[in-house]
Amino acid sequence: MLSRRELLRHGGAVAGLGLGLTAMNRASAVGAGDYKALVCIFLYGGNDHYNTVLATDEASWSAYSAERGDVVGGIALAPPGTQAKGSGSLHQRLGGVLPITPATPQAGRSFALHPSIASLQTLFNRQRLAIVANVGNLLGPTVKSDYDNSTAMRPSKLGSHNDQQSVWQSGGAEGTTRGWGGHFMDGQIGANTQSMFSAISVNGNAVWLPGKQTRAYQLAPSGPVRVGLDDGTVYGSAEVLRRMRGIMTTTRDNRLIEREHAAVSQRSYAAVDVLGGIYPGVTAGPWGSRSDPLTDPLLQYRDPATKADLYNPLAHQLQAVARTMAVRGTLGMGRQVFFVGLGGWDTHDTMQDRHAPLLAQLAHAMQYFDDTLGAMGLDDSVTTFTMSEFGRALTSNGDGCDHGWGSHHFVMGGAVKGGDIYGRFPTYSGTDGQGHFLSDDLLDSGQLLPAQSADQYAATLGSWLGVADSELDLILPNLSRWGSKRNLGFV
Amino acid sequence: MTPAALPRTRALATVALLGLLTACGGQNPESDSAALSQSDTRRSALAATGATRTEAFRLLNQASFGANASTLSRIQSVGTAKWIDEQLAMPAQDVHRTRWLAADAAIKKGDPKATAGNNEVISSIYERALFADDQLRQRVKLALSEIFVISLIEVSGTQAEMAASYYDMLGRNAFGNFRTLLQDVTMHPAMGKYLSHLRNQPADPVTGRQPDQNFAREVMQLFSIGLVQLNPDGTAKLSGGLPIPTYDQDDVAGIASTFTGFSWYGPDTSKPRFFGGDPAYADPNRYGTPMQGYPQYHAITPKVFLGTQVPAQKVADPDASVKIAVDTLFKHANVGPFIGRQLIQRLVTSDPSPAYVQRVANKFANNGNGVRGDMKAVLRAVLNDKEARRAGVASGERYGKVREPILRVTAWLRAFNATSDSGKVLIAPTSDAATELNQTPLSSPSVFNFYRPGYIPAGGEADAARMTLPEMQITNETSIAGYANYMMGVVQRGIGPRGEDNLGERPDMQPNYTAETALAEDPPALVTQVFDKLLPSSPSATLRNEVLAAVQAHTMPPKRPDDSNALARDNAKARRVQTAILLTLVSPEFIVQK
Repeated sequence: MLSRRELLRHGGAVAGLGLGLTAMNRASAVGAGDYKALVCIFLYGGNDHYNTVLATDEASWSAYSAERGDVVGGIALAPPGTQAKGSGSLHQRLGGVLPITPATPQAGRSFALHPSIASLQTLFNRQRLAIVANVGNLLGPTVKSDYDNSTAMRPSKLGSHNDQQSVWQSGGAEGTTRGWGGHFMDGQIGANTQSMFSAISVNGNAVWLPGKQTRAYQLAPSGPVRVGLDDGTVYGSAEVLRRMRGIMTTTRDNRLIEREHAAVSQRSYAAVDVLGGIYPGVTAGPWGSRSDPLTDPLLQYRDPATKADLYNPLAHQLQAVARTMAVRGTLGMGRQVFFVGLGGWDTHDTMQDRHAPLLAQLAHAMQYFDDTLGAMGLDDSVTTFTMSEFGRALTSNGDGCDHGWGSHHFVMGGAVKGGDIYGRFPTYSGTDGQGHFLSDDLLDSGQLLPAQSADQYAATLGSWLGVADSELDLILPNLSRWGSKRNLGFV
Repeated sequence: MTPAALPRTRALATVALLGLLTACGGQNPESDSAALSQSDTRRSALAATGATRTEAFRLLNQASFGANASTLSRIQSVGTAKWIDEQLAMPAQDVHRTRWLAADAAIKKGDPKATAGNNEVISSIYERALFADDQLRQRVKLALSEIFVISLIEVSGTQAEMAASYYDMLGRNAFGNFRTLLQDVTMHPAMGKYLSHLRNQPADPVTGRQPDQNFAREVMQLFSIGLVQLNPDGTAKLSGGLPIPTYDQDDVAGIASTFTGFSWYGPDTSKPRFFGGDPAYADPNRYGTPMQGYPQYHAITPKVFLGTQVPAQKVADPDASVKIAVDTLFKHANVGPFIGRQLIQRLVTSDPSPAYVQRVANKFANNGNGVRGDMKAVLRAVLNDKEARRAGVASGERYGKVREPILRVTAWLRAFNATSDSGKVLIAPTSDAATELNQTPLSSPSVFNFYRPGYIPAGGEADAARMTLPEMQITNETSIAGYANYMMGVVQRGIGPRGEDNLGERPDMQPNYTAETALAEDPPALVTQVFDKLLPSSPSATLRNEVLAAVQAHTMPPKRPDDSNALARDNAKARRVQTAILLTLVSPEFIVQK
């Protein structure tokens, strides 16, 4: 095993020569048998879980179709086995949903996935992908009569995008400044030499990442951004860049807002000081095959409507994650959390045309990432999972659906006990004729009352990462209400 | 543009004179709830004193797209309150849609299938921002577009005409009444498309369809009353220590029924016109005209929400339903503090005192003449308030705001009298964080705007103090470097595509550095000149020395008698000027508005 000093020398020299990093990968893999990372893929807008993971047994499908209309003018998908048509609505052209068989049978139910996520069907069948069913923000175990009869067990601000995004990531509404990803890292940060890179976003400021000690670092999909030209000059002068850095990173007026802004500038420069020379190139590893990411086939997904191969911004973000993981040895990182995301999931309208391309991007990006991690020898070290502020309503508003609550999510990685659905899949039903669904899992409008909480979801991931039970109880105060079910067992 | 600026020496003399007078005469009056005539008297008594250059500059940072010689001169002459009154008196002008249609017609002459799109809207927004005399109205349009959000990301391409019309609508309402603003936002087809209540239909028990709740929720959460009950000072009311929600899911569903049956404007309310898609039923003005009600697609069952209801209708009356909904929202006690606090944040300071919010909210509730929702009164309250105007307050530890990137760019362009080579003010989207500004006008990633009013940056002093700093939500290690590099490029070369075909010699918008270039061999004078143009008052000696050292890092070859090194000298001059400007534009002194 190479010493850290030798690794650093390797990293610098190799990056300077632009060679592949296979030697370093091997060395890192040896020393990094201990390395673990969580990667959160946030789906902004509220992904419609009803069309993502489907129940295809007759009773479920009949209830689903009753609410969602038909494949032509409504928002329902076609049943398993339906041939894709050459023309017509997009749902007609996509063909039938893709059957999956979970390892644990669920009482005579059968299941399938949206036709545009075939690669997730493959990952599921290879047991690298698990589905967590009907998970959402809950104060504790809640049954329908609790919800209907009292407001005590109703989380506040349900249905509000920004607040529910915040609650999923942090347990608190908008204005909260620390999330469970960062809190996990607070206890793990001792494993990291360059602690600045413990919690990294490639998708904007996300409350999931900061903790008490843990600060979030923002990376661009293209990597760390260096101020000035690559030769270290601004307007032809290194002195100008030096002065510029000083002006940006310090304050003279010394008041709070100036200090806040200067602190971010300071971190920006400091990060490049460390990463700039060692960050592997776009084609220096299995994550990229072209120097221009916008035209790299590895980063392209097939649009389900036009069949064109298009740039996938989510895959590009994951490319940056992979490149950062490649230098974990040089940086001396034992544990990391990463945040990436994709917007556009708020399908109130034109859902047929909007949802399929988004799912195609998600599926392609996850497969691309799994392939890349495999080639990097990080198969078992990285667990990737989705989150979204809520699911959606079963009922249609004509060409879309409105905000829901419980949702289904994906967890992927070598350590994941894939090929199964975790949690009781909700029961679908019709209504009583007065707008109230008969199923105990369905609220009015067909929002899912979650059966499992975001806290349990987080705790399961945290436990895998190495966070102790006692810490989890502090980070997720409602976790104890779930008793022995605190760990959902998917990883 | 307004009359040419005074020559520099005369301007300085005038400023000195005004400075003496204001030193004796005190500051402009703070806003109070007295009748307008009383403050008129007070204002005219102080009018002779005008304002100092610093006071004028600060106001322009709050109420315009950037200070320049002519606006500074005007405010110094008439004072801040009078200038605000002048600005409020200037009438609205609808320009954005007509400009878009003209651009579209010109494009179609070349190719009948081609169309104008998003960039034409962005250009027209910048054109008004940079060159309009009614700077306050333009600035308020931008502020309103960040509250009543629609986005070119979704309302795009040929439908960008609707976004242009929407921006005109915000302009018409900027100095009007909030009730009208809320009504016009509700009925605009761009909003109908963006939040999907265009073509919204009633519940159908057969198919199970429910009305779309998108607009219904956001009109409450974002455009009028917010999520929790508020005190007049903007703080949350508490019950048992917890905030009190303003609405629940039943209210959302109830009010959603109100917003059914609206679709494209036209000469009839036929089915094909409602559903759109048939060119024979597409009125040419539908993108620029409010949606109309189609009774046959409007819910007639009772609609219950927010403690009120639209009673069952024997004959469907969509307009009557919306009237009740908008009236109910307008009258809610939350609106003054909810909208007032955001206007303060957009213009003046990110974390205003509750007392400041209350003074503004009070003016919203009653402008002094018994009128609720008077935007002129609200804007006067925001800008004339002591917390906006007083230097003593502005120097406070927690005062001010991080200027949004769009406003940094316009401040630079106005300060240096930038002109458009093509005359079309071509500025393209600049949304990339790593290489651009992380922001483009009217192009928010979602209805939640680029940043939330309640955003608190994590892990630092603002977090500990629970200070809201919205613009920090788009500020991070990537964006800060992206901004610095982007400005490095545009300060040197200009900004925007190189002409309409992007094949020209240089970017379309060109700043004028003539005066600065003339001072390039006198670095201290150059630095003073640049600071004067970009900052309200002289910064610290430390900043001056830093910028000076950077400028002097570019050595200036001495002039040869035969001028054989003229090019080298010109290059050195240019670099010195660019250096002084760039280093000021990336300084906290410039980025943080006080």
